[in-house]
Amino acid sequence: MTIISASNLIKTYKDSVDSSKSFNAVDGVSLDIHSGEIYGILGPNGAGKTTTLEMLEGLKDIDEGDAFINEINVQDYPYQVKQIIGVQLQANEYFDNMSLYELLNLFSALYNIKNDPIELLKKVNLADKAQAKANELSGGQKQRFSIACALVNNPLVLFLDEPTTGLDPQAKRSLWDLVSNLNKTGMTIVLTTHNMEEAEFLCQRIAIMDYGKIIAEDTPQNLIDQHASDKPKEVIGGNMEDVFIALTGHGLRD
Amino acid sequence: MFNSPRAYLTKVFIQIFLRNKQYILFSLILPLVILGIVGLNDGDRDPIDIGLADNANSDLSKQFVASLASNNLFNLIQESEEVLRDDLINGDLMIALIIPADIGNQANASKIKLLVDKSQVQFIQTIKPILDQSLLSIERQITGNPPMFSLFVEDVKSRSQGYLDFLLPGIMAFMLMNLSIAGSGFNVVEFRRRGILKRLFVTPIKPIDFVIAIVLARMVIVLGQLSIIFGFALFALDANIVGSIINLYLIIMLSVLMFLTLGFSLGSLAKTQESVGVLAAIFIYPQLVLSGVFFPLESLPEYIQPFAEILPLSLVAEAMRSIASDGLNMVDIYLNIIGIGVWIGIGTMISTRLFVWKEVAG
Repeated sequence: MTIISASNLIKTYKDSVDSSKSFNAVDGVSLDIHSGEIYGILGPNGAGKTTTLEMLEGLKDIDEGDAFINEINVQDYPYQVKQIIGVQLQANEYFDNMSLYELLNLFSALYNIKNDPIELLKKVNLADKAQAKANELSGGQKQRFSIACALVNNPLVLFLDEPTTGLDPQAKRSLWDLVSNLNKTGMTIVLTTHNMEEAEFLCQRIAIMDYGKIIAEDTPQNLIDQHASDKPKEVIGGNMEDVFIALTGHGLRD
Repeated sequence: MFNSPRAYLTKVFIQIFLRNKQYILFSLILPLVILGIVGLNDGDRDPIDIGLADNANSDLSKQFVASLASNNLFNLIQESEEVLRDDLINGDLMIALIIPADIGNQANASKIKLLVDKSQVQFIQTIKPILDQSLLSIERQITGNPPMFSLFVEDVKSRSQGYLDFLLPGIMAFMLMNLSIAGSGFNVVEFRRRGILKRLFVTPIKPIDFVIAIVLARMVIVLGQLSIIFGFALFALDANIVGSIINLYLIIMLSVLMFLTLGFSLGSLAKTQESVGVLAAIFIYPQLVLSGVFFPLESLPEYIQPFAEILPLSLVAEAMRSIASDGLNMVDIYLNIIGIGVWIGIGTMISTRLFVWKEVAG
């Protein structure tokens, strides 16, 4: 069953140098995400991953195209959509001088619901940090806390924007376990990443974006078979990183 | 007005403010110190030091000196003319009277020389009429002529008003401006820069809920801060409040609303924390000088007065002063209230037009 469907999404920005020119940060993206899957959007920096996500989340206007989450039109009913989704943003800053416990209470209140902060913190393994301030947390703890914030409304869909960027391997593994466990409860998860291992390990399906367009979409194994089967790696050919380079074809982006 | 997410966010904003003890202390300390200095010095005027050299040393001159000395406006310092001249040059004295040797010569009026330090021109202009008046009454005492006219000063306001009573509404107006601008403009830019605003709008809260929460929270904060200042002036410094305190608070609330909308406008215009600081300075400092907070607007150059009168802070300071010092009611200051209303309209228009609520984090 489809829970997120988007057709031909376009987001246009003015060129920051020459304002008479404009470019499409997202250029005709169509998505069909199934209920209960972990769907990954892969791509180099500036490919349009975050913009696509924020259009689906109702944080950015959709210039052209349509998006539906659980059959609700995002453009027409952004507040209804926000009720049923959880969002973890790239930036994880919160009000100063507030404990994690208080922040979770605040976020629950913004949905006009009550949700036990301790239960939420237990889910992300931070129950002992309930009275700590957000800026006292380590990188991995901060990411886990931001997932706890995204869970306050028991969302149908959880959006994670580069959840493991900047984390050490242990913190990364612990976050993967968390995401897998949430997915096992039936939650649909959409994440962006440029970590190939993460895409391969977590995602049931992957879309690869470049220059605002989706240039490939399939299961990790199918993508490897199609685009990187000739690369010698272990017994099954190359890994997702090889797929990525084969498809986007260039090195550093910024 | 008080749906639950809004009320909760309001509570959180107040809570955040109350936990910032250092900010609370610093924002209170300056107004308290200024009022304290003025308030404690607001009793009797210090007598003015006047140098006096009696070159005549006659009965008449002695009588003159005795009458002058009995006037408690002046503190006479009797020295020789040379010493007084040196004191004037050194700046130890601002004014000196020299009684000529031929005083009392009825053929022509005695010229009493007034030695002054010209750099203190403002002071001398103020003191000269008082001095003239004193000389005249001394002359009448000595000559025994009854005065033909006498100026009887009747204070129509007939209450004691000191500089403190002038300053208090102005300081409160200035403080409410700073607190309101900091609470809207600075907060919005800071929350936007750190991505906090975006995080809030991930939830189904609407921009209007956020704005109302900030306005309500700031209202509580500013009223609390001003009440501390007001209470200090009222109870510790014996300030006189003639008008209705309820009216005063109504004007304060209206003014907080005005400066919050103007602060949101500054926050919408400025993209970075640095530029909001500069914008706020451009907004605040001219008003500090041009709004009659520390001295009356009438002392400004004529051509700038019409402009100064419509500044937001002028409207507020004058309205508050009219109530606190002159006992006027809300109807009497309707022009100020309309002016504040117009600024609220301008602030609301700019901030709603320019602030891109959807794309809060760029």
